[in-house]
Amino acid sequence: MNALELKKVSKSFSGFYLDNISLTLPSGCIMGLIGENGAGKSTTIKLILDMLHKDGGTITILGKDNEKDISLTKEDVGVVMDDIGMPECLTAKQIGKVMKHTFRNWNEDEYDRLLQKLSLPDNKPFKDFSRGMKMKLGIAVALSHGAKLLLLDEPTSGLDPVVRDEVVDMFYDFTRDENHSILISSHIVSDLERLCDYVAFLHKGKLLLCEEKDELLSEYGIIHCTVEQLSALDKSSVKYKKETPYGAEVIVSRKDAPDGFKLSPISIEELFVFMVKEAK
Amino acid sequence: MKGLLLKDWYMMKKYCRYYLFVSIGFIILSMMSSGNMFFIFYPCLLSGMIPVNLLGYDERSRFTEYVGTLPYTKTQIVSAKYLIGLFTQIAMLTVICIVQGVKMGIEGNFILKEFLVLMMLLLIMASVASSLTLPFVFKYGVEKGRGAYYVMIGVVCAGSIIATTVFKEGLQNEIQLNAVLPIACLVGIGIYVLSWYLSVVFYKKKEM
Repeated sequence: MNALELKKVSKSFSGFYLDNISLTLPSGCIMGLIGENGAGKSTTIKLILDMLHKDGGTITILGKDNEKDISLTKEDVGVVMDDIGMPECLTAKQIGKVMKHTFRNWNEDEYDRLLQKLSLPDNKPFKDFSRGMKMKLGIAVALSHGAKLLLLDEPTSGLDPVVRDEVVDMFYDFTRDENHSILISSHIVSDLERLCDYVAFLHKGKLLLCEEKDELLSEYGIIHCTVEQLSALDKSSVKYKKETPYGAEVIVSRKDAPDGFKLSPISIEELFVFMVKEAK
Repeated sequence: MKGLLLKDWYMMKKYCRYYLFVSIGFIILSMMSSGNMFFIFYPCLLSGMIPVNLLGYDERSRFTEYVGTLPYTKTQIVSAKYLIGLFTQIAMLTVICIVQGVKMGIEGNFILKEFLVLMMLLLIMASVASSLTLPFVFKYGVEKGRGAYYVMIGVVCAGSIIATTVFKEGLQNEIQLNAVLPIACLVGIGIYVLSWYLSVVFYKKKEM
């Protein structure tokens, strides 16, 4: 079963159009939704949760249509929003009590364990937390009710590198169970590069690609050459290119790579930047 | 819905102490004044406005968005605020009930029917206050919904003047009271239910 299926999902606001997004997240996998600010990442997550009403298309979460009994489906979905959104005057302890009466499968011991692991004080009001602490509390709540799917909107932003590493490890642990899946959005591509099995690039509401990360990395390579060498290359082998006064960088498909050039491995970040610039 | 009510209870304890102090002040004033209904209407009005203020804090902390990720239906989210409003109004009414009962007893003019009429009017007035405001707040948000709040203040002030007149003159006419009270009760309940229904409809259409 797929954890998530979006088929031709569209949504328009004034000045923004999410253009027929289709993507599939298989169970047990982590998908990174990569895009600049305003690309449509949060909109996509809100559409999945039916917090925004889609204009067209279908969305299935854990095998269920997202417009049917979505509140029941949300029992199995852990969400961390970019703004977190916890009530400001509540302490972590009080939030735990509220969640105990919110989720049927709330695990109080797991929540307490995570608060300790993430060094979160349980009697300090949420408004006095730093951005990183707020994010960690959001993650602790999302991981304490037996969710099968995590929807994480920029969960690592505001975290220092050590905590970020810790949090990424927690997400790894979560997907050890083959029924657990994660859709994680970020514009910090390096985090997602470490974590994800699948990557989806969003740019101005359009899905540029959605592929398995390892396949993508093995499919493309990068050539560093001069501008003259670039103009001599067979255009059909050039996927994306960037010219500077000092030379050119060209992304090519490995199977169509021209002879006589050193083909370097490409990173997801490089590929994303190239694709976005090309799309502009 | 229990989780939402608990969250609102924690928030009330933190943010609504001011209402408690003001209400106590007004109740004390009501004991010292004779015949001015405003001093007992106003605490009821304040208690009716607590759900709107809680929604304001929810908006500020972006809980209005976060709640969309939790396993609650939109009907439950709206209903929680109406229930909180009802609880606070009943609690306030109970306090006023005791104070006014004691006051009437001390002054030697305790008449059960008159007392019940007064309490009924208070409950209706308080529930009408939140009934008129909440649908606007659920549709337009707290900032824009404040317009409705000011209209409602005017309505309640006018209502308290009318109620005072009815109370003074109408009590002497039992037939008139017997007819007006049940109708007023039904209208109050009707407005509250209609308000809840409209809020649910508006909120279901609203995007988070």
